[in-house]
Amino acid sequence: MKKPHITDILLLVMSAALCIGVKLLFHACAPKEDGSWMACHWAEQAVFAASLGMSLTAFVRLFLDRRARAGAALGMSITAAVTAFIPGVFIRLCMMNDMRCHAVMRPAAVILCVLIVICGIADFVLARKEAAA
Amino acid sequence: MKQNLAYRNLKAKPVRTAILVVLTALLSLTVCGGTLLVSSLRTGLSSLEARLGADIMVVPYEAKTKSNLESVVLQGNPGYFYMDMSRYEKIASREGVGQISAQFFLASTSSGCCSIPVQIIGFDPETDFTITPWIRRSYGGALEPGDIVVGNDLNAFVGDTLTFYGVDCRVAAKLDKTGTYYDAAVFTSVETIQQLIASSLDKGMNDFAGIDPERVVSAVLINTADGYSIEEVLNDINIHVKKVKAVQTKEMIAGISDSLRGTSDLIGVLIAAVWVLGLVILLLAFTMSVNERRREFAVLRVIGASQGKLAAVVMQEAMLTGLCGAGIGTGLALIGVAAFRSALEAQLGLPFLLPGAGRICLIAVLSILAVLIAGTAAAAVSAYRISRIDTALILRGDNG
Repeated sequence: MKKPHITDILLLVMSAALCIGVKLLFHACAPKEDGSWMACHWAEQAVFAASLGMSLTAFVRLFLDRRARAGAALGMSITAAVTAFIPGVFIRLCMMNDMRCHAVMRPAAVILCVLIVICGIADFVLARKEAAA
Repeated sequence: MKQNLAYRNLKAKPVRTAILVVLTALLSLTVCGGTLLVSSLRTGLSSLEARLGADIMVVPYEAKTKSNLESVVLQGNPGYFYMDMSRYEKIASREGVGQISAQFFLASTSSGCCSIPVQIIGFDPETDFTITPWIRRSYGGALEPGDIVVGNDLNAFVGDTLTFYGVDCRVAAKLDKTGTYYDAAVFTSVETIQQLIASSLDKGMNDFAGIDPERVVSAVLINTADGYSIEEVLNDINIHVKKVKAVQTKEMIAGISDSLRGTSDLIGVLIAAVWVLGLVILLLAFTMSVNERRREFAVLRVIGASQGKLAAVVMQEAMLTGLCGAGIGTGLALIGVAAFRSALEAQLGLPFLLPGAGRICLIAVLSILAVLIAGTAAAAVSAYRISRIDTALILRGDNG
């Protein structure tokens, strides 16, 4: 394994933070009194699945050559961009905007996804510059 | 591209530069985030004062004891209480009563998709003077039976259908964010309320203890007539109309104002503490940085750099790190407060309304300027000292 770039570490940390955070820190609303889940729970599950995929990709790419790493980073950016739209757009959240899924889960997930997008693109651009040099 | 000396110095020492950037980012984060927080709370309170829209609110006497009126009216917690329509007529006949309108609070219900109950409020569009202006602002037509107007915190939009007690209701309009109980409520006409009650009785969901929205009301909102003081009318109603409690709406806000003052003071103290600490650390950081680079500056003097040039290099370094840190800190504060405003509102339990875009930009620019001035002021001391170094002493190694 070659010495990782700062962008490699950031991509791994942020996708892992999204994966763990969406389950433990900024999770969606609790189940109803009758034990059934509200719609936001399925948004949480979808974000978890996508972020788990991104975390594994971020880990595996550490062992790849520079060109493959840059390609994987671009792929992660695209996945993160799509993941940002899961809560509230692809899967509807709860009725009240002050509920946990709107107030905490959605903004935290969107911010982390945007950071992954920026980092992925930065890594891709850096790799191209390095190749050109 | 030719890079200037200050930029190259910063680039050559990435750890030192990163520490300075983080420090200045922390300062701007606290000043921008704190100011935005206090400003949002103040905007929320102003909005609350404007939106309550009535001088006096009259509720059944038991509402003051059975249910906490302030939590219903100011925080939007669902609640319900009723009084006979005859009391509304008695209140309307009292001297000094100008505008008067009744509201009917329906026992709240979960709205299908989520477990949080929603307050349904019936009102009379003919007499209403607190909600109607907001409906007109966002919706031009009249409310048909089955039409509802939703508060801003409800995740429903014009044209959507919401189901209450098995009745499909069409969203006819959505109100602007008010920072009051209007945000979490659903408004509709008395006819629609009757439909909801009938459907609930048919389905055996809630019997509502036999209440009839045409015979009872929950709250009466009053604006005093010209020439009468609010206290005068309030006392008159409390003395002459039995089993009701007239409350001055400003009195309800007084509690919130006190909490707001307390929160603002606390945030102010925290900002001041972070600033004092940050400025001391910045001063130390620049002093230490300049001290360890005395030989470097002495060499620059030997090769022809003037005293002013050395001071300028130190000041430029401070400006660059300050600008970078202030930009990052301010950006983080704006994103944090804007993205998590609902969570902050819930945590603080106070009306919270972000100020307009212009005011937010002003706060951001002022925060960046404040941090830049503080950073350069901290560096100015070191710049002054470095401009007066004795080159010969330092290069000989007799610099203490």
